Amino acid sequence: MKLTFRMWLLGIAIILSLLMIINSTPYLKLLIMLLLLGSMFSIHYSTSRKKALFLSILMIIAAGVVIAYSFQSGALIKSVGKDSAAFSEGLRAGEILTFVNEHPIKSKEDYAQVMSGITFAENEIKKITIKTEKNEYILFANETPDIIVDNIHKTRIQTGLDLRGGARALVQPDITIDDTGMADLIQISRNRFNVYGLSDVQINAVKDLSGNRFMLVEVAGATPNDLEELISKQGKFEAKVGNVSVFEGGKKDISSVCRNDASCSGIYSCSANQEGGFFCNFRFTIYLTEEAAKRHAEVTKDIPADDTTGRYLRDKLYLYVDDNEVDSLLISLDLKGQVTTQISIQGSGSGKTNEDAFNAAKASMNKLQTILITGSLPYKLSIVKLDTISPSLGKDFTFLILLAGGIAIVLVSIIIFFKYRKVKASLALLLTSFSELIIILGVASFIRWNLDLPSIAGILATIGTGVDSQIVILDEAEKKSSTMSLKDKIKIAIFIIITAYATNVVSLIPLYWAGAGLFKGFAITTIIGVTAGVFISRPAFADIIKRLQE
Amino acid sequence: MEEQNSKNWYDKSHKIMLIIPLVLFLFSIIYLYNFNEKNGDIIHKDVSLTGGTTIAVFDGSVDIDKLTKTLKEQLPDLNIRVISDILTGKQKGFFITTKEDANKTKSALEKDLGYALTTENSSVEFSSSTLSAGFYQQLKYAILLSFIFMALVVFVIFRTPAPSGAVILCALADIIMTIATVNLIGMHLSSAGIIAFLMLIGYSVDTDILLTTRLIKKHEGSINHRVFDAFKTGITMTLTSIAAVSVSLIAIYSLSETLRQIFTILLIGLGFDIINTWITNASLLKWYMEAKNK
Repeated sequence: MKLTFRMWLLGIAIILSLLMIINSTPYLKLLIMLLLLGSMFSIHYSTSRKKALFLSILMIIAAGVVIAYSFQSGALIKSVGKDSAAFSEGLRAGEILTFVNEHPIKSKEDYAQVMSGITFAENEIKKITIKTEKNEYILFANETPDIIVDNIHKTRIQTGLDLRGGARALVQPDITIDDTGMADLIQISRNRFNVYGLSDVQINAVKDLSGNRFMLVEVAGATPNDLEELISKQGKFEAKVGNVSVFEGGKKDISSVCRNDASCSGIYSCSANQEGGFFCNFRFTIYLTEEAAKRHAEVTKDIPADDTTGRYLRDKLYLYVDDNEVDSLLISLDLKGQVTTQISIQGSGSGKTNEDAFNAAKASMNKLQTILITGSLPYKLSIVKLDTISPSLGKDFTFLILLAGGIAIVLVSIIIFFKYRKVKASLALLLTSFSELIIILGVASFIRWNLDLPSIAGILATIGTGVDSQIVILDEAEKKSSTMSLKDKIKIAIFIIITAYATNVVSLIPLYWAGAGLFKGFAITTIIGVTAGVFISRPAFADIIKRLQE
Repeated sequence: MEEQNSKNWYDKSHKIMLIIPLVLFLFSIIYLYNFNEKNGDIIHKDVSLTGGTTIAVFDGSVDIDKLTKTLKEQLPDLNIRVISDILTGKQKGFFITTKEDANKTKSALEKDLGYALTTENSSVEFSSSTLSAGFYQQLKYAILLSFIFMALVVFVIFRTPAPSGAVILCALADIIMTIATVNLIGMHLSSAGIIAFLMLIGYSVDTDILLTTRLIKKHEGSINHRVFDAFKTGITMTLTSIAAVSVSLIAIYSLSETLRQIFTILLIGLGFDIINTWITNASLLKWYMEAKNK
């Protein structure tokens, strides 16, 4: 039962795709890979057909068991409130929750149940032990920990917003902007989402066929009610002393901001604090315009020095973004009442380790610099498309799509079986279609493509054309011919398939840009599917049919 | 003997059979021309192409007739459709669509329902009219480009003008007849519906390529025999596709407007593809082959 090169190629493509799809640890993935490869080797090298079948099925079952075992149990921590006790204890998003107070947690429902059992009387402090796979955290809390958990995903397949629920906004500036303008807009928006504490947000620049530029904002999961406001607000930066505005973000008040230049921007000291954590300080220079510098002198000239150190003024310089305070800076005494254009902005970041603190400081420095440089948007934004999709719809969808897929496969196999009356060939056809599905899902997981409705329509189209191509191969091979060999007949079949493939792919290319790329998914899944089909699975199917005919 | 008869019959009637697709094609063209004169466009567009709001509310207890009546006063162009459970047929919720913006629609609906719409109980989709108009233009453009690309590939591969032209003509006929039918059944096309036409280009060309290759590249058996062989393969392809599409259509019928349109259009298109491949294309090719052999 020697396998041909094309069969090996298909087998390896399926194995790699499976490894892409399942969410497991590297060691277990290696084990699964070895088992599946083993099953291919055993078919390739065993002398008797029975032995080959027995060995390979055994290994495939073993791989199945490993896959089932590798699905971790517990609940994934999606976010931890920044000011919460859990956060200061070191609990972070991404860890896997296994126990709360000795209650095993296997799903987010378990977690909700255990947490609802812990109630707090006024001023009562309770001890809550949270065990994750990495660590154990003991919290003394007077309220339910500020943690959001989710079920662990068994696969790495990501679904789009229209299946998972969430919000999608297409935002268009009221003026025409270029690439850098769009990059700035995205940077500012991203900053803003961070300030507001929304983390699961994706922002991308999209361009359509007519050259219009949009910013595509996608928020997964629950949609905040003020999303519309959040997206289309202009983003005003203001530095104030007391109630008096000293300077604002952007060109009017700030002539330049030093960044990426170690002589005037960077992190200059890191040290441990009393609680066992670390903190790092950053500093960078900004240059105020003459006008803003005079204002600064005017505002600071009457403020006395602080009582404790005497090195700084008593009032701080407060930084606001869209009227929310984001940072406050000490003003050194020697700047008092001075018309100075050069101001050193300082700040710090803290973390559990030195490295965490360094990164935190670097991140907040970058954030501030961006706000100061870009300032508020000089133009208005309008939301040209806003979809908020309920997560409850997605569950129904997934069920129905699986149902439809299942019934369609059964129906197609019945038709194929009645047409050819050959169990093995019909089975091979179904397996090939199934392998195409696995390869599409594998590649989609690998490139982290979100499967939305257009993508699913694309998958269905591919499976459809896949079955069609295999029918062509099967029919060519079946035909009795006096002059043509089986090889020539398969050649004709492959020619038909490649021609159909070429027309299919070129006809999908315009979809990549049309409609601000919202229908890209259809083109992407179809192109992945038909390409894998034409170069990997369908040739292998032709070999299988040859083998069955001989 | 019977096969012999049928072949003789095919020899005699293949040109006459061309009347069927020709009549359908001419009817579609005239119908679409009149439709365009009357409506200013060759299709009915839904809110995803004109701009407007779609709201899905997941509430099985709302009296739809009553709601329609009261809502129509504020949103005259309102469309309402029930979402029902595929297995039990029970009402699970409803969709409304209107050309108004999201906030106005939402507040009108909230007033009538008596509760606030949240992401838990509803989905809201809004597109502005300028964006939608742009989408529509671009999708039309995309279809045109796709068609041209497809035609180029067909020409490059077959290299002979007449058979290539026949393949392209069939794809065009599929599309035109499907648009006419979609209008006849009163469907308002969404952006997804237009994508379905792209899928149709791919699907319809498949069988035409099969037929053309079998006729031109193979030199075994009579022309009739080759057509008949190709027909056996092609019809299996189309039937499996129709079976799969029908089942999918039933499964998502009430839940997803997007997929419902895609599958409905594919189903109609695949039906016309049977006519256009096995009558239009087959007859034209046979005609061409016989003329060439003379």
